[in-house]
Formats: sequence, C-alpha cells, structure tokens
Amino acid sequence: MIDRALTGLGAFLAAGLLALLVLPLLALVVASSPTAVAAAVADPAFLPALGLSLATSASSVAVIVLAGTPLAWWLATSGSRWVRPVGLLVDLPLVVPPAALGIALLQAFGRRGLFGPALAAVGVQLPFTPAAVVVAQVVVAAPFYVQAAVNAFRDVDPEVLLVARTLGAGPAAAFGRVALPIALPGLVGAASLAWARALGELGATLLFAGSLPGRTTTLPLAVLTALESDVQLAVVLALALVALGGLLLGVLRAVPTWRP
Amino acid sequence: MSVEVFAASSLADVPGDLAESFEAAHPDVDVRVTSAGSQVLRLQIEEGAPADLFASADPSHARLLWEAGLLGSPEVLAHNALVAVVPDASPLRTFDDLPRATRIVVGTPNVPVGAYTRQVLQRARTVRGDAFAEAIAGSIVSEEPNVRLVRAKVELGEADAAFVYRTDVSPGLRALPLPEALAVRATHVVALRPEASREAQAFFAWALGPTGDAALLDHGFDP
Repeated sequence: MIDRALTGLGAFLAAGLLALLVLPLLALVVASSPTAVAAAVADPAFLPALGLSLATSASSVAVIVLAGTPLAWWLATSGSRWVRPVGLLVDLPLVVPPAALGIALLQAFGRRGLFGPALAAVGVQLPFTPAAVVVAQVVVAAPFYVQAAVNAFRDVDPEVLLVARTLGAGPAAAFGRVALPIALPGLVGAASLAWARALGELGATLLFAGSLPGRTTTLPLAVLTALESDVQLAVVLALALVALGGLLLGVLRAVPTWRP
Repeated sequence: MSVEVFAASSLADVPGDLAESFEAAHPDVDVRVTSAGSQVLRLQIEEGAPADLFASADPSHARLLWEAGLLGSPEVLAHNALVAVVPDASPLRTFDDLPRATRIVVGTPNVPVGAYTRQVLQRARTVRGDAFAEAIAGSIVSEEPNVRLVRAKVELGEADAAFVYRTDVSPGLRALPLPEALAVRATHVVALRPEASREAQAFFAWALGPTGDAALLDHGFDP
C-alpha cells in the first residue's frame, strides 16, 4: 500500500518536473506565429545577432577543441599528482556564476586589469570587441568540453594503446591513430555541449564585451535588449536560440552511434 | 504595510533616502525600492509587477503605462541635465574634446538616458556638423541597459567617456558639461498606481512635497 503510494508520488513528481522543463519551451512556440517570425527575421537586430552568435561560438569551440583535447588527454591518462588539482581548476568556471566570471575577466584583461597594460603594449584591447565575446565563451564553455572529453578518453582501453606502442607506434601516433578515433564520438558530443553553452553565454559577455549591435550583441544579448522594447521580437529570438540548441542536442544524440 | 517603489536607475538613491525619513515618520510602513532602467520597470509593471509608485527617468514610459490604465497620471518629479563623463585623469577637458575619445559608452535606444543621448547627437549633427557627430557616434563601443551600467564602464576604466545624467557623476569621474546649443534637459516623472493604498498615496505626496524636493536638491537634481 505504502509502496504503491510512494511509486505514485514519484511518478507525479517526475511528471511535474518534466512538464516544467518542456512547457515553457512549448509556450514559446505557441506565443509566436509565422508572421511574428517573418517580422523578426526582417528586423535589423536579428541577422547580425545570429551571424555574430554563430561566428563567435564556432571560434570558441575551435579554440576549446584545439587546446582542450590535449589537456583532456593528459587529465585522462597521466599518473601525475597534478591531475587532481588541475582537473579541479578546469571545473572551477562551472561553479562560478557567469556574471562573476565577467568581472574576473575585466580584472584580468580589462584596461586596468592585471594584464591590461601588457596587452595594450602589444596593441591588444579586448573589452568591447568580438574577441572579448570569444574569450568569455571559451571560459564558460571549455570546462564542459574538457570534462566530457576526459570521460571519452578514459573509455579508451589502455591495453589497445599498449598494443599499438609494442607494435612500434610512438606516443603521438598511438594517440592520433588509436585513441582519437575510438574517442571521437565522445569528443564530438563534448564539443556540441560546449558549443551549446557558448551559444547561450550571456552574463560574462555582457560585462566583459559590452553590447553593440553587429559587433558584440550576440543572440542572448539581443533577447535581453529586445525584451525591453519588443516582446514579440524577444520571443522569436528566444525561439531561434531554442532551435539552435535543439540542433546541437540532435548532433549530440546522433553521434555516439556514428563511426567515421 | 509595505510600499513598493519602482525607481529608474538614475533616481535610485533618492527613494532610499526618502524611504528612511518616511519610515521614521510612519514606523508601520516598509518602503521597498527596486531599481532598473525605466524601460525594464515599465515591462515589469505591464507584466503585473506590484509597483505602487513608478519613478521614470523620462515621461514616455510612465505615459504609456498611464494610457494603459496601469498607473495614474505622471507628475514631474525633477529635472536633470545630460553630461559626458570622463575619468578624473582623462586628458579630455571640454565637450569639444569628446571626438578624441576612442571608446564611448551610451545607453540603449530605449532606456531614457540612451534616448536623451541620441537627441544630443542629433543636435550635434545640426549644430556642429556631420564630422563632429560622426567622430563621437563612431566611437560608441557599447550600449548599456541603464545609466548606472553606462557609468560603471567609465568607473572600471574600460571606456574613455560616457553619456550620463549630471546627478550620476561619482567620485573619480569628471563631468564635461554640454554646450548650451546641445544641452538636453531630462524630465523625471513619478506616477501612482490607480488603487494605491493610503500609505502609498502618503509616500507619493511626501516625495512630491518639500521633503522630496529637499532630497532631490540634495542629490543634485533641478526642481
């Protein structure tokens, strides 16, 4: 009797959570209309924001994958006593709110920041530039990639690598020819996750890069600005973000079954 | 009993001071102040936020809520002037130096301070010519949703200059007053909810009365 009641309660709570997760997104679709979508796409704020979001997030993911893959490989396979502390440092941005990261980025790379004068000396001024948008996205999204990539590399059987090495492959060749292909689906999934996170970045970007249409106003920032003047436009911009997120999730789910 | 005051960022410090003196005179009333850009507060009121009083940095947002029946008719609270601000150590001395700034921050077009700024730039175009106005407009690197965030970019040292209200000039910043031909006078208004409580009505009268005037003068606003 109690058992059945508890099962019922569990199902009720689970259904409630599911509804909470799905209903707002459904409402977003309902709140919009084909004419509103057409009007929003024609709005001068839409295409620049979309283009900037795609360009900056793609750059961020490229940086994250290039630098994050060797880091993840080291974290997954090294026996060094530094693995734990470094892993912890990589995860740190996950638990720090983006707004705090934005302030931290200003204190580091802003004009009066720790490295601001050094950067200025070589002619680099990050704040208010698309590069600042990328830096903010890399900081918030990289942990997602590295964490998932570490898991993907851990699934590579050490025996297989050992065999490759005994057959004469150097460490780099063993990584490139053996470990990388095995871990690839996991890495693609990890990159999609990081891409989605970069695409959604708002807080750190707003503080570190500011907001100027066509230069630093990404889609999430455009949603924020649009909401203050044109709710319909904000709804459609939000829908576009949901669609992009859904697309990336689709890639994420499709990939584990895919082999190059 | 509580009174919910929604105040534009530029006015945020005033209701706080007023609330203190009001609460001293009315110990059973708790005045709570929320501040953001006027356009954000307007949106929140449209979406049903329980504001008893709305102090807006320009008349347009309060007027729209009045026309929608969500607020009573707006009353003028104070006037203000738009200025350019620079860090104390800046080499820019007067408004005419502003085209030399390379990073200027303004408000978004829909926050009042941003709307007033665009009026100034429009005037500069007519009075000083396209080159002068373009030199300033071309150096705008960010549009912020409220005047305090605009100011923060100069306080942080990231921007060379910004357009804010005279009352927002904080220690460490220096105002470059606008030449008379370009000056834009800002009008701050306040409106009361239609079925406001007696306490909210009392606070409204308090804000518009001599105590309110004194507090506003104290913060550098014009009557």
